[in-house]
Amino acid sequence: MTKPDSSKALGIGIAGIAVTALGLLVSKPHVIATAWLVGIGFWTAIAIGMLMMILIHHIFDAGWSTVLRRQYEHGIAAFPWLLLLFLPLVAASYLGSHDLIWPWMNPDHQIVGGHQVKDDILYVKKHAFLNLPLFTIVTFVFFGLWIWISARLRKASFTQDGDGDVRWTRMSGKTAGFGIPIVALTLTGAAIYWFKSLEYHWFSTMYGVWFFANCMRGALSCGVLIMLWLYNRGDFKGILKTDHLWAIGQLMLTFTVFWAYVSFSQYFLIWNANVPEETFWYNIREFGDWWYVSLFLVFGNFLLPFLLLLSYRFKVTHRTIRRIAYLVLFVIFVDLCYNILPALQDKDGNPQPFLSINLLWAVTSVIGVGGVAIAAYLRSFPTTKLIPIRDPRIAECLNHNE
Amino acid sequence: MAEKPYGLIATFDTPGALMHAAEQVRDAGYMKWDCITPFPVHGLDKAMGVRRSKVPRISLAGGITGFCTGMSMIWFMDRFDYPITVGGKPLFSPLFAFPVSYELTILFTAFATIGGMFFLNGLPMHYHPVLNYEDIRRGTDDLFFLVIEKADARYDAANTRALLEKVGGKLVNELES
Repeated sequence: MTKPDSSKALGIGIAGIAVTALGLLVSKPHVIATAWLVGIGFWTAIAIGMLMMILIHHIFDAGWSTVLRRQYEHGIAAFPWLLLLFLPLVAASYLGSHDLIWPWMNPDHQIVGGHQVKDDILYVKKHAFLNLPLFTIVTFVFFGLWIWISARLRKASFTQDGDGDVRWTRMSGKTAGFGIPIVALTLTGAAIYWFKSLEYHWFSTMYGVWFFANCMRGALSCGVLIMLWLYNRGDFKGILKTDHLWAIGQLMLTFTVFWAYVSFSQYFLIWNANVPEETFWYNIREFGDWWYVSLFLVFGNFLLPFLLLLSYRFKVTHRTIRRIAYLVLFVIFVDLCYNILPALQDKDGNPQPFLSINLLWAVTSVIGVGGVAIAAYLRSFPTTKLIPIRDPRIAECLNHNE
Repeated sequence: MAEKPYGLIATFDTPGALMHAAEQVRDAGYMKWDCITPFPVHGLDKAMGVRRSKVPRISLAGGITGFCTGMSMIWFMDRFDYPITVGGKPLFSPLFAFPVSYELTILFTAFATIGGMFFLNGLPMHYHPVLNYEDIRRGTDDLFFLVIEKADARYDAANTRALLEKVGGKLVNELES
């Protein structure tokens, strides 16, 4: 196992951050900050998905995913860095009129129709929840819990490499027991605070589940890419079996259907009820080129990956499953843009187009945060054994057979 | 010796011996033959040259049928058979037909999967000549069997028996049909 070079990833990340920062010379700070939310949201989703995959592995005492779990344990090393990269958004909310990103943070913020946020009954009703101090506290608490649970899982797994004590596996089982509800609630809260509250009028009980579906899809796709990367480096020769790819491909199919189920249900209930407080959210997403983005999500985010992942051969052929993984990561990015960027509106309350300079800053943000997150993974990678060699389930994983 | 033999059955003591025998029978070009083991032997399907099941294709056909059934049923009923305007919605929209179509997709997929599995396996099967073999009960305990059917195009009583003996089969016997 040779040590991978993390400085290149870090360099790309810093370059992405620098280009995004230079965007302040071109676009308004409001635009840059909202695009940054796409970047931080994308990689935080993947990290949360990896954390969830580890917890689910432990709660089921799973066998096949033991080798994959070690890579996820390196992946969740990114949480402290993601918190660091989230801080500018929190700091910016304390500056000026507080509404750089989230309009409800400024009671005097003008909303469409000449009203102000403080006179808006939907804000007044949600005020106990939507206020800057609580937002700050929960953001830190959420990241704190993710970092703490990650540290527990990493410590248990890495220490077991040395002493082979089954006690560490039991400890991770307990972590999974309380960790799954904690992560489920915090990821829901994060999705509501960070993304949904951009249009605070809106209601959707599906939102946290929608975010969870994207978290899992992102983590699974990254898992495929990591396993194939290690296979091509030579580390996973003799470890990665066809049936590992088959198993992870099945989960990718599952969460593709799950994403579609949740997203459709959200749309369907709002379409059926036809209440203006809810339909406006989809109306602005049918404006201009967002209409085509909506259709792309239906066909590109569901139908195409669904049909591709039905095939056994596509799931186990390295070249094909790698392309499917890239496709899924791309559509998750588009899905986050679809949820976040229409908050950038013109004077008439219409969303700025998808294909605009705003998209460029979203892309540079994803590259910027991604470089740092991948560097965190690569720095953690050489600190332990390649696979958890003394895990009680390791033999089961290495001999995994359908 | 039976009047109308079903085929030849050979006994093996270990999964490894059976695995190597299966590879050679596969390479000899036999098509109608099978292995009987007390437990699943990983890799045996590959050694036998068995391809992946065709059941998923039948499942897919069932799923597509179910989806189209749901959509066309609701389209016909709401648009022509008994049109009622509800909540200012159009008489037909794929949106409200979707949940029902989705359920029918699952239902028809399940039926097609079960039915396809029964059909491809030739189930229900109330009689099989192998069950007449006196040692067959040990095939659920500690013995492994390889059966080549007479119906196979390459079957030849003497040559097939020679092959089974060459690949390490013990007690090569003829099965009554």
